[in-house]
Amino acid sequence: MDEMRVEYHSEMEQLRADLVRLGAMVSETIGRGTAALLDRDLHAAQELIDGDDAIDDFCLDLEDRCCRILALQSPIAGELRFVLTTLRLIGELERSADLMVNVCKASRRIYDVNFDPQVRGLIQQMGVEAAFLMRSAIDAYVDSDTSLAAALDDIDDRLDNLQTDYVEAIFESHHDGNLNLQGAVQMAMIGRYYERVGDHAVNIGERVIYMVTGWLPEHTGSARQRLRDHPGDQGGGDAAPPSE
Amino acid sequence: MTVLNVVLVVLAAAALGTALFALRQTRRPDPPPAEHHPAVAAASAPAEAAAVAVDQTGRANQLVGHLSAALDRIPGGVVVCDASGGVVFRNVMARRLAEARDSQVLVAAAVQDLLVEAVAGRSVQREVELFGPPSQSYLVQSVPLGDGGLVVIEDQTQDRRTDTVRRDFVANISHELKTPIGALGLLAETIRGEEDSEIVDRLASRMIAESDRASRTVDDLLELTRIEFGDDTEFSEVSVYAVVAEAESRISAAAEQAGVAVQVGVPAQLTVAGDRRQLVSAVFNLLDNAVKYSPRGSDVVVSAEVSTTGRLRLDVSDAGVGIPQRDLDRIFERFYRVDRARSRETGGTGLGLAIVRHVASNHRGEVTVASIEGSGSTFTLSLPSVSGGHSAATASTDQPTSELRMST
Repeated sequence: MDEMRVEYHSEMEQLRADLVRLGAMVSETIGRGTAALLDRDLHAAQELIDGDDAIDDFCLDLEDRCCRILALQSPIAGELRFVLTTLRLIGELERSADLMVNVCKASRRIYDVNFDPQVRGLIQQMGVEAAFLMRSAIDAYVDSDTSLAAALDDIDDRLDNLQTDYVEAIFESHHDGNLNLQGAVQMAMIGRYYERVGDHAVNIGERVIYMVTGWLPEHTGSARQRLRDHPGDQGGGDAAPPSE
Repeated sequence: MTVLNVVLVVLAAAALGTALFALRQTRRPDPPPAEHHPAVAAASAPAEAAAVAVDQTGRANQLVGHLSAALDRIPGGVVVCDASGGVVFRNVMARRLAEARDSQVLVAAAVQDLLVEAVAGRSVQREVELFGPPSQSYLVQSVPLGDGGLVVIEDQTQDRRTDTVRRDFVANISHELKTPIGALGLLAETIRGEEDSEIVDRLASRMIAESDRASRTVDDLLELTRIEFGDDTEFSEVSVYAVVAEAESRISAAAEQAGVAVQVGVPAQLTVAGDRRQLVSAVFNLLDNAVKYSPRGSDVVVSAEVSTTGRLRLDVSDAGVGIPQRDLDRIFERFYRVDRARSRETGGTGLGLAIVRHVASNHRGEVTVASIEGSGSTFTLSLPSVSGGHSAATASTDQPTSELRMST
């Protein structure tokens, strides 16, 4: 039994380490995808699109291991939340990598479009912000750092603002005749992809808070709904943020 | 895992001639009883055997200490595992990689994979390219050992960069010199059979322009070489303000033509220990660059201050096109061009920023750049040995008062 416990704990540790590895793989794709887009590097774009298979494969392996732990070890309390959170994070990270694949695919479609310097600068900054958010989200997960996890939402505002500026710059570019409508639409989609990567990082932060405290932002809304359904009831027991 | 085993694998890992030799010397005379626990030895043998065992263990421990210290100082990562794949040793660099959370995690992951290969008796090489930023490149190799495995990590980032710089330099210098010379030859050939004076006139002025271009490149190359060797560097107390003023007066005609205003905000009393000529050349090149890439009607701002660490910080900011991220760490290379297509119309030699970098290093300082495409760039020249920031009276004596019009 003791030996099984040791193995169980090292499995959990390996799971944590491999999620960090997955996070690093995804952060890499953000930088690489942004460079492929700005440098008009079709080869690098194709490499990233092909490389997504390896990420998907790794995600499946991780998911499999989470399920095995759940089925065979029946973790409880904090350990259960850790495995559940890891399971959720795999999905968030996998989706983020897919978004960078979308960026690369879009960059092939707008190969002939000339970017204004301002647009280029904004794409670069969105890439930096998105990668920073992703790294911070992984840091929060590894350190079980709820304050960093909670701050991700605010940090994401910077990316959202950049995206707003970016869309405006595209309008301007289109207005000046440097960008046709098709190009403008593709470019706007690219901005949206970056913005979504940031949202996934924020989701990771929320799940990390859940891992540590058992509370999710959705609990607040859920409590409201319960109050509407049963007006006499004074709030659900699990709705309030726990007092640590 | 016994101490002796660790010694053996670490020894193999070291593969450093001296370490190997030293260990052979200590091991050859007697069989290795280091794995005997002193207590066991004492129970089964006379007291002197126990003493020998203790002595052996002590020496083995000492050796492990020496070898791991030696491995910590080599410029590479070393990971050693036993026959079951369990890591028994990591040197400093390998530990740092194993604890990383950013993209370096991927190097640690490659190490993990290759340990399996090493234990299976296979020698495998894998290159890991990290985009970063900063971009890094590692070579990870597995080496099978008798009963275990070894993985060696080599950081190739610097080598790669040097190779690229060298290759690009050769390509660029031949381009920069050959283009005007080739043009001169062709123009001369055309002019020889030409009788229409108007065409001769036009061709001749093209020849003058091309020869100007070639001679500017050669001049800059000569200046760069002189600064690079730093032979005639003469250090004296130089007024920062006077340096900036001289550079500004040299650029003013070009700035006016480009419709760019140069704003100078340098405290009059600041001085720095340096070579006046070189410093003027550095500031001029920064201004030249800023003016060239600024849109008409915008400002180039020069400011200077003493930083909290006591260094001089001189900023030259423009509101120009900016520099793409991937070029930021390369623009100080000789002849490096962000946009080759534009280089002819701006008319620079491609050496200006290289000159700035060499002047900075001659003064034990550095030049850095921050830029956002579409918003502009700021070049920062940072130099040590500032004085006069606090004692204004002594510093402002060597400059004519007429130049004070530029101070803020």
